[in-house]
Amino acid sequence: MADDTTPQPQPHASAQTIVAPATADDDVVRVEHVGKRFGPTIALRDISMHLRKGEVLGLLGDNGAGKSTLIKILAGFQKPDTGTLWCKGQSYSPSSVDEARRLGVDCVFQDLALINELTVYQNLFLQRERHHRPIPFLSNALMKRESRKALDEIGINIPSIDVPVARLSGGQRQAIAVARTISGDADIILLDEPLAAMGAKEGAMILDVIGRLKAEGNVSIIMILHNYVHVLAACDRVNLIQEGVIGLDKPTAETSVEELTEIVVEEYRRARLEAQEEERRHAAGNGSDVTSAGAGSAPSPDVRR
Amino acid sequence: MAVTSDTSPRGAPARGAADSRARREAGLSGVRRFLTLREGSIVVVTVIAIIYFATSNSRFFTGTNFKTLLPYFAPYAIMAAGQVFVMITGEIDLSIGAMYLFCPFIWEKFHGLGTIPGMILAILVCCLIGAFNGFAVAVVGISSFVTTLGVLFAIDGLTLVISHSTPINTPGVTVLGNSTFERIFGGGTYSELIWAIGIVIILQLLLSFTRWGIYTVSVGGNRLGASEAGIRTRLVLIRNFVMCAGLAAFVGVLEAVRTTTATPDPSGSNDILFQVISAAVIGGTLLQGGSGTVVGALIGALFLGILHDGLIINSVNANYLDLYLGIAILIAMAINTYVSRVRTGSGRG
Repeated sequence: MADDTTPQPQPHASAQTIVAPATADDDVVRVEHVGKRFGPTIALRDISMHLRKGEVLGLLGDNGAGKSTLIKILAGFQKPDTGTLWCKGQSYSPSSVDEARRLGVDCVFQDLALINELTVYQNLFLQRERHHRPIPFLSNALMKRESRKALDEIGINIPSIDVPVARLSGGQRQAIAVARTISGDADIILLDEPLAAMGAKEGAMILDVIGRLKAEGNVSIIMILHNYVHVLAACDRVNLIQEGVIGLDKPTAETSVEELTEIVVEEYRRARLEAQEEERRHAAGNGSDVTSAGAGSAPSPDVRR
Repeated sequence: MAVTSDTSPRGAPARGAADSRARREAGLSGVRRFLTLREGSIVVVTVIAIIYFATSNSRFFTGTNFKTLLPYFAPYAIMAAGQVFVMITGEIDLSIGAMYLFCPFIWEKFHGLGTIPGMILAILVCCLIGAFNGFAVAVVGISSFVTTLGVLFAIDGLTLVISHSTPINTPGVTVLGNSTFERIFGGGTYSELIWAIGIVIILQLLLSFTRWGIYTVSVGGNRLGASEAGIRTRLVLIRNFVMCAGLAAFVGVLEAVRTTTATPDPSGSNDILFQVISAAVIGGTLLQGGSGTVVGALIGALFLGILHDGLIINSVNANYLDLYLGIAILIAMAINTYVSRVRTGSGRG
């Protein structure tokens, strides 16, 4: 986890105000005051957010801001320490990824959750294998056919679905992970950096697919992205996580790459100033004790463009 | 059936070209498929060993010698089949030798319930110990090496305690040794071989064509990823440990029936442990997990048996036997590695 959330007791209320838990009538997901810590590290302080039906929500934030933790909580992989979750009007506290999936929530994790040793089609059907009826042997022919179809629909070029995914490129692997999730039955899809390892062309294909899903209007998507141009192109609304809370919640139509960049750079500057201030205090006071509080490295503004 | 449509590249226009390509490949596929199998190289090495012993000694290729060979290979093959499932998940079970030793003695304690119910109960007790292994590894998080090493000592010790260090006569075994029960459970000449082949076939099918098998590979290949995908990794680990322990116990029964007695000798049973792990590794199962085959372990066990038997009928001095055996294993594994490098070179990308 990054330094901005380490030991300091967090008294200094930062410039931004905590956005009140906004809601809408057609919300499919609602997150209320969720907090999560790992030992001394506070990953999420007080997150309140919502996702409307058919919406694509972009989730931004620094490395270590807690985006992935939030996604993992929604996906049922981790449990929040505090707060409540709602999904389609029901209280939502999945005990496993499996249960979340049964409730229609599926996720592409940052590490993709692919098994290198298994083939492309085995990975695509992992944990929802098709099998024959009386004897539960896997029906590989059926899974291969359906895999081919699913990959063709996305338009991603995978040379053979019979090879272990270890032999594929980073972009291809990512495409398979995305294909696995969107070809399932989920109507709430979580994507943790779906474009991270992709070339420009593959990335555009995935964004196309997301655009198509959005046009159909059946699924709602939360997506972590780093490239602000992609965010503005693909998302309806953007949430920015800063220091464990949602620091910004705006429709993409009302914001711009410049504004988003400015917010993040501003945060970076502030953190650096605070760090220098801290150092100066230490130098003036005790001198030697400069080790504390991760003041050294400020969070980097992860701006690509 | 659907083979051509499966392998053809996407899109209808490419269909014709793909068909002819598929037909061309079908010709090569016999050899190629064999070589791309994980157990391909150990088969080659085993055949080399057979040719060597067959040409150097006329007694090697005889029915009598085959019967001598059986006990040196069938029991290991069965135990290795279970061990492969544990090893593919990236763990190891060192307690199988102890299970093998322990089972006949606990069976004797349960003998009052009848021969077969007692036997089943004894195997179930060992399965329970296997479940403990799995629980300690998957839930508590102790490394499998440490867990099963502890269980190995504990169960070896328990065997000495309940047997008072005295050999027993195997329950249900008659003086003549030809009851149906005995002939089925290890007493018949080919009984162990038939069990071994049957179990290996069933477990290979389990590994290749069922969820159990796919999940076993997943847990060994990427445990975090497997759990993110929703696989209950703990359950997968526990049931593989249970199966491994159960098979080791079953072999304990077969061997006790075959030899009509059971001797509480931990050193002998731990020797078997090494043979089993060697068979699995020689058969292409990776020590780090994620990959392995049951058939490979069977051939690995066969290879070890042939080596042992071949050296004996070539009248190798008993003192030199282990030395030669060790050197032969190293040479064989060097060839094995070389062949598999050639093999992966020949495999398609």
